[in-house]
Amino acid sequence: MIELREIGKTYTRPGSDAVRALDGVSLQIDRGEFVAIVGASGSGKSTLMNVLGLLDRPSEGRYLLDGRDVADLGVNELAGLRNQRIGFVFQAFHLLPRTSALENVELPLLYSDRASIKGLGRRALEAVGLADRIEHRPSELSGGQQQRVAIARALVNEPDLLLADEPTGNLDARTAGEIMAIFKTLHQAGRTLVLITHDAALAAHCDRIVHLDQGRITARKEAS
Amino acid sequence: MRTARLLKQSLRMMTRSKLRSGFMMLGSLVGVAALTLVVSVGQGANRKMLTTVRQIVGGSSILLFSRGGRLVGGPRGEASRLTLDDLAAIAKELPAVEAWDPQQGLMAPVRSAGASDTARVIGQSERWDRVWDRGVSRGELFDAAAVASSARVALIGETVVRELFGHEDPLGAEILVGSVRCRVIGILEPFGTDAHGMDRDDEVVVPISTAMRRLMNVDTIQTAKLLVSDPARIAETTREVRRILRERHGLAPGQPDDFVIRSSLQAQAMVGKVQRVLFLFLPLVAGVLLLGGSAVAASLMLSSVNERVGEIGLRRAVGARPEDIQLQFLLETAVTALGGGVLGLLVGCGAAQMVARKLALGDVFSWNAIFLGLAAAAATGLLAGVVPARRAARLQPADALR
Repeated sequence: MIELREIGKTYTRPGSDAVRALDGVSLQIDRGEFVAIVGASGSGKSTLMNVLGLLDRPSEGRYLLDGRDVADLGVNELAGLRNQRIGFVFQAFHLLPRTSALENVELPLLYSDRASIKGLGRRALEAVGLADRIEHRPSELSGGQQQRVAIARALVNEPDLLLADEPTGNLDARTAGEIMAIFKTLHQAGRTLVLITHDAALAAHCDRIVHLDQGRITARKEAS
Repeated sequence: MRTARLLKQSLRMMTRSKLRSGFMMLGSLVGVAALTLVVSVGQGANRKMLTTVRQIVGGSSILLFSRGGRLVGGPRGEASRLTLDDLAAIAKELPAVEAWDPQQGLMAPVRSAGASDTARVIGQSERWDRVWDRGVSRGELFDAAAVASSARVALIGETVVRELFGHEDPLGAEILVGSVRCRVIGILEPFGTDAHGMDRDDEVVVPISTAMRRLMNVDTIQTAKLLVSDPARIAETTREVRRILRERHGLAPGQPDDFVIRSSLQAQAMVGKVQRVLFLFLPLVAGVLLLGGSAVAASLMLSSVNERVGEIGLRRAVGARPEDIQLQFLLETAVTALGGGVLGLLVGCGAAQMVARKLALGDVFSWNAIFLGLAAAAATGLLAGVVPARRAARLQPADALR
């Protein structure tokens, strides 16, 4: 489904040296895989997630999504792909404050071309076990519940690919386990998941682990 | 469908940050209120001034006053030598003078059977309605025969009617003007207060001859107004009138005039000056306020964009196009600017009504002010919204989520 060929990303900031965040990364992810990308902070894993999620364009190399080079796509087409094909889960949840769980979940639906969005948000919240928290605001929810709202939001448009960037980074161990359990269920249901983390123990839940160090892939291994 | 959904959600989001929306409204509220107030009051004041000026000097006219005298009332000037013969001579010699009306009057007690009032009693000719552009609302005017015979007839203003008759019908009633018994034949058209704040409805108009012979026993007049047929000849006619009067009064060169002569040209110059203040200076001040309001709204909007970078990044991540983001922020400024603008209109109109009542400007409701106010609100929104909205739309999603 995803094929990265020799992807490089260089940040240039005025007044400082260019930073090479990704350097010749080649990676293939097939449909239905559960892949962990592991690396220390500064290893370029967030940059890789931004590239995979079409949030950032690589400086060099090619990114083929279903065989199509995304470099050919315009801003609006990328937005459409993010909306339909990709779901994001962030470390900081990124929920809109003063806004109900249901409305947060419905956000991607607003930007879709669907004629009706009725009931979809509620169903997504039910899927993550929050049917009774629909009208709660983020400030009224625990960290784990907030991250489940974020997962429901990532799933509401039924994307093929779920990208999770340190999804358990702000959670305690028990809650982190619950979130991982949800990811496993989603994987078993046939979704493609990419988990970005610095935590090797978390990565061990995945089919395949890709190690990233200073913008380069240093090791790949199949999990047991 | 998609756009409708987005607009609805944006509006809902705005109601959740009431403080921010409120402050942004304040920006356009202040500007629009100031503009509405200034335009409404300016138009009202202008209308009032033009009416007053027209009633005094007419379209193109010359006013003559005996030295030291006033338009109406006041003590007689010592050197008053202006006579009806002077005016007749002027009219005869100068064909440009198409009509004229003399005035002589005094403050005098006016009595009916049971009540009394002190009113300005003015003697005028049968041509006064045309020359002074004022008539009767009921009853009739006196004619040339009444003037020739010093008839005991009077036209009375609404205030006099109220003081003497209350709700009774004054037409045909007898009143005592000073010590002269007169019959009321007409009610003067209502006027209100004049430029000096005098109640022009507290007046009694009698034939000029009645005032001069029966009431005051004088052979001079205080004031005269001459209508000039051709506006282009006012200056020339004014010079001629002066020459004729000086000749008739036997004034040697170097001796000062024993009369005052004013033309509508001078009044128009004064009107022009006031209008510059009303329509240039005051709106300029309002415009500055409006710009200030826009600046406040724009800076609030910019800080709102900066504060919501994370939200913008998230929206982009879940599929918002740059133009969706731009639309959202434009809508927010449009709604707050127009909302504030409508409130500003209400405040401005209310303030204008209060000012108008204080200054007796009459009705100052003005569609111009409403349209200008709404246009100003839209301009505020545009000024305040476009730059922040573009900045929000240009944010790179990866940067915005960091």
